[in-house]
Amino acid sequence: MRFNRKLESATLRKLEGSLFIAPWVFGFMVFVAFPLGYSLYMSFHQVKITVSSVNYTFIGLSHYREILIANGSLLYEELFPFLRESAMMIPIILVFSLLVAILLNLRFPGRTLFRVIFFLPVIFSSGQIVQEFIAQGEGSLSIMETLRIDYYLREYVPGGWAAPIQKVMSSFVLVLWYSGVQILIFLAGRQTLPAAVYEASRIDGSGPWNTFWKITLPGLVPYIFLNLMYTVVDLFTFPSNPIVSRVNTSNYGSSSALAWIYFLIILTVVLLTLFLYSRVDKSLSGKR
Amino acid sequence: MKIVKRGSETAARLYADHRLRNGLEVLRYRLLGAEIDKGLLFKLFVYVILINVAFIYIKPILYMVTTMVKDAQNILDPTVIWVPRTIFLGHLQQASEMLNYGKSFLISISLASSVAVLQVFSCAIAGYAFARLDFPFKKVWGALLLFTFIMPPQITILPSIMLFKEFGWLNTFLPMVVPAIFGHGLKGAMFVIIYRSFYSTLPKELDEAARMDGAGPFRMFFRVMFPISRSATVVVVLFSFVWNWNDFYFPSLFMFTAENVPLSITLARMAGEMKLAEGAGEITVYAEAIKMAASFLIIMPLLVVYLFAQRWFIEGVERTGLVE
Repeated sequence: MRFNRKLESATLRKLEGSLFIAPWVFGFMVFVAFPLGYSLYMSFHQVKITVSSVNYTFIGLSHYREILIANGSLLYEELFPFLRESAMMIPIILVFSLLVAILLNLRFPGRTLFRVIFFLPVIFSSGQIVQEFIAQGEGSLSIMETLRIDYYLREYVPGGWAAPIQKVMSSFVLVLWYSGVQILIFLAGRQTLPAAVYEASRIDGSGPWNTFWKITLPGLVPYIFLNLMYTVVDLFTFPSNPIVSRVNTSNYGSSSALAWIYFLIILTVVLLTLFLYSRVDKSLSGKR
Repeated sequence: MKIVKRGSETAARLYADHRLRNGLEVLRYRLLGAEIDKGLLFKLFVYVILINVAFIYIKPILYMVTTMVKDAQNILDPTVIWVPRTIFLGHLQQASEMLNYGKSFLISISLASSVAVLQVFSCAIAGYAFARLDFPFKKVWGALLLFTFIMPPQITILPSIMLFKEFGWLNTFLPMVVPAIFGHGLKGAMFVIIYRSFYSTLPKELDEAARMDGAGPFRMFFRVMFPISRSATVVVVLFSFVWNWNDFYFPSLFMFTAENVPLSITLARMAGEMKLAEGAGEITVYAEAIKMAASFLIIMPLLVVYLFAQRWFIEGVERTGLVE
């Protein structure tokens, strides 16, 4: 009897949960899963769109072969510099936004004003507007020219990396501009850490330095991970990104194949971060 | 005798030592503070960083505003860099005509706000389910949520166009609005994740107490859970509104031949027209001023919304008692 009732309530809860998740699952099926499968299907076909119908001719892997091997310039010439650029931009964005979020969480006169200003990039950086700003040369820092960073880069950095570093440097302001959402995520994350813990550590006589490394940073690990994922995804799916802009309606089959190749690259990067995160999390929880 | 002398010497040295240490302590206290946000040095450091970064963020906006109010005389005058001598509003007027501002503004605002409202509800429900409810294959769906988050929209864009064409939705707002009803749409997965992480930080006793009081799941969600997630809601509303307002990618592919388009598309069309005119040899000194005026017209409503929402944001965060 008792067992039965317990089972019943468990099923009931599952039913409730299913009811809540149903709209999302339905949306996933229609707007994500179906188009995803369809684009995979198209990537193996030559797609011809006529007025009355869509014709598919199965051509196997030849779109992939075309992009990856035969006409490699399309992908590699833009992909590798972009990957190197991202490899530098991501840590800069993360450290910068963490720093700013922690500073903004402190109490000081004018905090509200600074918060207003630091959220501005979220408004600007997602639109066409930022393109206009880049065109006006608002993305560079004059200090880079005065310190002759370009010269040292060419002198001391191996070939493949000098150009991307230079590009990141010259658009350093832009890198900071991409940090709006990350700052907010960190700020929100910082506020989930209970004040009582900070009070306790203060009473125990721990200084600000220790408090940061022992409490704030471990507490923010999930948010660092979230931000890492967000930054990777945001950088890789930005519509002005060199590879993304190649996915267009001119050739459905080959565009789909390109989108899939690109997606697999993103997935690799994300899985790598996921792996790193699980390692970090494990080592931290061992200490806790 | 000797011993006493030596003793007093030691005492004096000890005393001096003590004073020195005390002095250092006071100095350290003044500079670094007992807590991280109280020290003078630290405050200075904070302000230097904040002011520098704030300048970086504000400079393009200043540039935009000052450029758009320059008339021909001010544009050609090399001594005028930041502050124009006279304020000329003709560019704003011309830009608003080129953008078809009145109509496009209404379209943008209705599109962005309807998507934002729908996404808040649908994503809160989904996030709540992911964080606190149980349903079959929860782990699989959680993985698929993450998958949706990291999946570039470009990979599903072509089949989506075909799908929406089949439904007869092209050149309408439906391709942007309908996915939002189901917790998808522009960055929908991220909003679900925001709600999920918010709801998973709440104490378990909360739903137990509500359940004891006899609240059903819907009542509990709408009367307890959704109201206390106000800070997450403000963030999601703001993001959703701003991103949908600025979004160019989806409307450009779903409504490319539509007559009634949001501002982001009219801006792109306007830039195209101006480039064409430039190519045809019509070089004008006003081009930049007009572009900046158009950018300003598009950004301004967001700035207004944001200045208003900022208060809510902080207030919301403080009301939930999350702030120190």
